[in-house]
Amino acid sequence: MSPVRRRGPGRIGVRAVQLGVPVALLAIWYLATTRWGVSRILLPNPVAVAQALGHVLATGEFVADLRVTLTELAIAFAISATSGIAVGYLVSRTSFRIRAFEPLLAAIYSVPLILFLPIYVLWFGLGPPSKIALGATISFFPVVLATVAGFGNVDRMMVTAARSMGASDLQLFRFVLLPAAFPVIIAGARLGFTVALLSIIGSETLASLAGLGHKIVELSEGMEMPRMFAYIAFVVAIAAILNIAVSRLEAWGRRP
Amino acid sequence: MGANDTAIRIRNVSHRFGEEGEARSVHALLDTSFDIAQGELLCLIGPSGCGKSTLLNVIGGLVAPTTGTVEVLGKKVAGPMPRDIAFVFQENALFPWNTVRENVDLGMRFQGVARAERAARAERALAAVGLSEFADHYPAQLSGGMRQRAALARALSLQTGILLMDEPFGALDEQTRMILGEDLSVLLAATRKTIVFVTHSLGEAVFLADRVAVFSARPGTIKKVIAVDEPHPRKPEFATSAKFTALRNELYALLHDEIRKTVSAEGARADQLGTLTPGALS
Amino acid sequence: MTAATAPRRLAARPFAARLLVIAILLVIWEIAARWFVDPLFLAPPSKVALGIGSVFATKGVPAAVGVTLLEVSAAFAIAVAAGLAVGLTLGLNDFSRRSFMPMVLLLYGLPQITILPLFVLYFGIGPASKIAFGVTHGTFPIIVTVVAGVQNIKPILLVSARAMGAGPWQTFRHVIFPHMIPSFFTGMRLGMTGVLLGVLLAELYVSTAGIGYFTTLFTQNFDPTRLLGLVGTLAAMAIVLNAMVRRLEVRFARWRDPRG
Repeated sequence: MSPVRRRGPGRIGVRAVQLGVPVALLAIWYLATTRWGVSRILLPNPVAVAQALGHVLATGEFVADLRVTLTELAIAFAISATSGIAVGYLVSRTSFRIRAFEPLLAAIYSVPLILFLPIYVLWFGLGPPSKIALGATISFFPVVLATVAGFGNVDRMMVTAARSMGASDLQLFRFVLLPAAFPVIIAGARLGFTVALLSIIGSETLASLAGLGHKIVELSEGMEMPRMFAYIAFVVAIAAILNIAVSRLEAWGRRP
Repeated sequence: MGANDTAIRIRNVSHRFGEEGEARSVHALLDTSFDIAQGELLCLIGPSGCGKSTLLNVIGGLVAPTTGTVEVLGKKVAGPMPRDIAFVFQENALFPWNTVRENVDLGMRFQGVARAERAARAERALAAVGLSEFADHYPAQLSGGMRQRAALARALSLQTGILLMDEPFGALDEQTRMILGEDLSVLLAATRKTIVFVTHSLGEAVFLADRVAVFSARPGTIKKVIAVDEPHPRKPEFATSAKFTALRNELYALLHDEIRKTVSAEGARADQLGTLTPGALS
Repeated sequence: MTAATAPRRLAARPFAARLLVIAILLVIWEIAARWFVDPLFLAPPSKVALGIGSVFATKGVPAAVGVTLLEVSAAFAIAVAAGLAVGLTLGLNDFSRRSFMPMVLLLYGLPQITILPLFVLYFGIGPASKIAFGVTHGTFPIIVTVVAGVQNIKPILLVSARAMGAGPWQTFRHVIFPHMIPSFFTGMRLGMTGVLLGVLLAELYVSTAGIGYFTTLFTQNFDPTRLLGLVGTLAAMAIVLNAMVRRLEVRFARWRDPRG
């Protein structure tokens, strides 16, 4: 009906809450550990966490584990992206194949694939290969499903038009199919990347000897709370940075 | 019939969306005063954005006007008046999760009709619009024309003295509009309600209305009122008569310039905006 | 995803093609496990299937699987209740939504796996930490979908109700709530996936009890038969639970206009 204008006070109120809540939580955290007697064994002092984080960053002790995690991520994603796109393209070629296999792939993806981890540990041990295998396995699916959707939904009219002008298979792929499917595939690849990162950190947490996930576990077992919290913050930040980087890449890839 | 009884009294109603001086404020309706008699069918017609729908919403209490007042059956309008006014909208306003019958029943529930009476009223209303057979279908299963019949049944079941209809057939094809228009005329001749009917269609206005109020371009007001002196229910033959054609031509002449003005204003604004975005100009 | 096309040959039906591919994969697995791969690492599907009994005969396994199922159920129930409550609150109250939705989305996007060790530290190695971790994974999708279901309602429906004299409670009960139901069930489907993930992650993490104990045990003992049997059982459980929720979703989305 009538367009409602956002009245000034409403907006200010929203901003106030959005700033106020985190500040209040931080204050409660600080007070809980300094004045209210919450055990430091369970909850570290936020100041101590900040100091620990500073120390970790300054000494660069995170580098070794970060390198392990990022390497695993890179290899896993490289595997899943290439195989996902390849398989996705092949499945998308006929509507029969799509109808037959897309549901199968979607069904497999709906199972918690983390269950594969013990099997991979059995096969590859506790080192990086089992993490890479799990990361690749899980991130394969968003990529393949997006590729099938991307190539499968290319407007038939465009294909017909190109063929009528004499396009060869390779030309059709390069000039029609690929550009049309590209945005969808890129979105799927981005999702795959995020999923790969989470899977790898997850598998490092569950069964590993190195890597950022493992580091957090190690610190929790040693009850080194400030450093553990520092590493948690660090990993969250790394994940956020990677996600933003990948979003930028996706946006760049989708530019008109 | 009591043609001297005024059902709706509109006095100096104007409306502006947003605040004066704001970039996004829109002057939708200029100072308008008008009387609508009881039992009359009045059509509001005019170019896009002229304020006819706004006026309808003001009459119905859905929008509080920036200036002016509306009196309905002697009472000042300060909000929706579900016992006196029922709406039929253009867009499908039926609840998709309910069957047609449930939709009709729900409207009466909102109004406050007792349970015992609702079933009987629903049956009568559905029969009146010819949907008895489809009462237990869901709106998604019906054609556009049938959905609007259902919306009409819902409004009729409320047994209000006044019916406000905002381009109820606007989304339908020409043939369905014709049929529904004829049926509506028959129906309304029997019920003697006061009806205010917004439309874009010249033929529809002449066919259905006792009077047609023609709006000027935005910001609009009622430019001229044309009377259609023809008894209800209107026969299909009326649509091909000379009288009909003359009236339609008169409407066309009145509207043509206003429509042109509206279109060129939209074009100028589009240049300013740089791109045409849907809804930016409505 | 269904029906046969004109040719009636069995091989031409997508369903049959799927079965064929699965069958071929099973055969490859069987052959590889029997004759090519070291039995310490891989057991053939036939052996795994027959060995399910011995998996469950292993002391503690049935209890562990049962407890896991209970944890999933409890976490799901809590996530649904919490998700619905928070979702409705945010969806109906404009100020709350604008204030808190960004926070909700931020939390939703965090890699929760990083705080799994904290959960176990705080809640112990028993069911509590598993349920809690499942709840945190399952609640967010439900909140988001419920909010969307309330926000997405076509304004004309609310206007229409108001014009007919509906009060706030009537509008909620007869218009907003029914409109939100399909989104809610979609949220529940996503929530179940989340709960399964959360509970299983927590279970696998705790290697001293529960499922995690047995996966570690079978791995360390190089017992692929039992490991695959256990993992297969859990996968089957997940599939069944997901299917159940999906069927609910389909059933409650019946009125949905296919055009959206």
